[in-house]
Amino acid sequence: MRIWLARSAILIAALGLWEAVARGANPLLYVPPSAALPALGRLLTLQSYPDLLADMALTLREILTAYALALTAGLACGAALGLNRLVGRAYGPLLAALYAVPAVVWYPSLMLFFGLDAASKIAFGFLLGFFPIALAVLAGVRQVNPHVLAVARAFGARPAFVFTRVMVPSMLFTLVGGLRTGLALAVIGVIVGEILGSKAGMGALINHAYGLFRTADYVALVLVTLVLIVGSDALAVLVERRARRWTE
Amino acid sequence: MSDDLIVVDGVSKRYVTSSGPVDAVHNVTLAVSAGEFCTLLGPSGCGKSTLLGMLAGLVTPDGGRVLVDGRPVTNPDPRRVATVFQDPGLFPWRTALENVEFGLEVQGVARERRRAVATGLLGPLGLAEFARKYPRELSGGMRQRVAIGRALAIDTPIVLMDEPFGALDEQTRVLMGEWLLEIWRRTRKTIVFVTHSLGEALALSTRVVVMTARPGRVKCVLDLPMAHPRLMESAELVALRAKLWSEIRDESLRALQ
Repeated sequence: MRIWLARSAILIAALGLWEAVARGANPLLYVPPSAALPALGRLLTLQSYPDLLADMALTLREILTAYALALTAGLACGAALGLNRLVGRAYGPLLAALYAVPAVVWYPSLMLFFGLDAASKIAFGFLLGFFPIALAVLAGVRQVNPHVLAVARAFGARPAFVFTRVMVPSMLFTLVGGLRTGLALAVIGVIVGEILGSKAGMGALINHAYGLFRTADYVALVLVTLVLIVGSDALAVLVERRARRWTE
Repeated sequence: MSDDLIVVDGVSKRYVTSSGPVDAVHNVTLAVSAGEFCTLLGPSGCGKSTLLGMLAGLVTPDGGRVLVDGRPVTNPDPRRVATVFQDPGLFPWRTALENVEFGLEVQGVARERRRAVATGLLGPLGLAEFARKYPRELSGGMRQRVAIGRALAIDTPIVLMDEPFGALDEQTRVLMGEWLLEIWRRTRKTIVFVTHSLGEALALSTRVVVMTARPGRVKCVLDLPMAHPRLMESAELVALRAKLWSEIRDESLRALQ
């Protein structure tokens, strides 16, 4: 309760400061909350951008596709590297090195390969989301207590049972952290991709409003996008909280 | 050897470590017949746990063979053998109850059935009120009791126990021993029990196998046919204790060096 009070306090303070600073400035560049809120209203009632829902659905679809691909490839790749010593030692450092490259340098070539439509955004979201997931699985597999695996084997558990019921829960805590980062980065990848060059999606709308100096609409679009991102992260937090109960 | 349930026939095991090879077990031969409470007694590092691992099918001997029920052991056989490990090795994401259920779950036993079996075991283990607790919320002794419950839940004719009461305080240790004897008497399971405690060996076993310091060999075998519960102060047991101690003393000294 007190946490929420504190959070509201900083929100109100920020809005107040924003209003005070933006009032006296050039209205083309600076939009006070008192102007952004009506713009948000027009956006949500589909007056300023009638295709908002279609664009939102497209962005969500791109995020989900990118994340599903990153999840599948990340789990498979991380497990392969974690379970096989040689493969892990050969390719693990490579994976970590690639993760350190600012991914945005790849985006121009992704647009060349996949065009301006959804595919290049999905590819970029995938590229960003893949690494933290693969690295988390790799770290997680190494964390599994070998004694617990021996116990499972002593009770006759077969490899598939051991993997799903012993290894995955053993590394869930590490894994959830990676899954959460992966989701956040997949979202960033898709939206940044859209802003850098696209014809549809939330990023394209943001770009459009920004290009036409429709600054109030631009602010409203950013707010809607933020809600989208915070919502997806809240989902990940729920899973993480469950994992925390048996660790620590 | 018709009624020998477990036959260990000249097994050896050598581990390769960074400081050279170590013979953990060397040419051990012994037989355990059905219904026995057999204790492997020896100093730390005498290969007792390795031997038990071979019986469990978790450690492959370099030489010799292990037979259970006349069949060579190559893999864990949870229909015949259950194991309680020295480190309880509970699953941290499972509650006490769910840990006890583990073996039954592996065997595909229906949920209500395994819950009933596990709940029935937690009572006598003194864990009825801790069924929903996770291992990290339990004391060391409680964790070990959960591990014992997990082994008993799959109701095998053979139970292997690797210093199961090692981490318990003396009083709890005695009580757990009495409880284990009760189960053993009721179910006629065959128990192979590893310990370094003379008192525990004398109070529980029908036979004690004394092992030498590394490499582990069988030094001598002692039969203890007297009935339970045993009065440790009786002349017979005091004499046996002195004999066991003289056998194990040299080995303990050697293990220290």
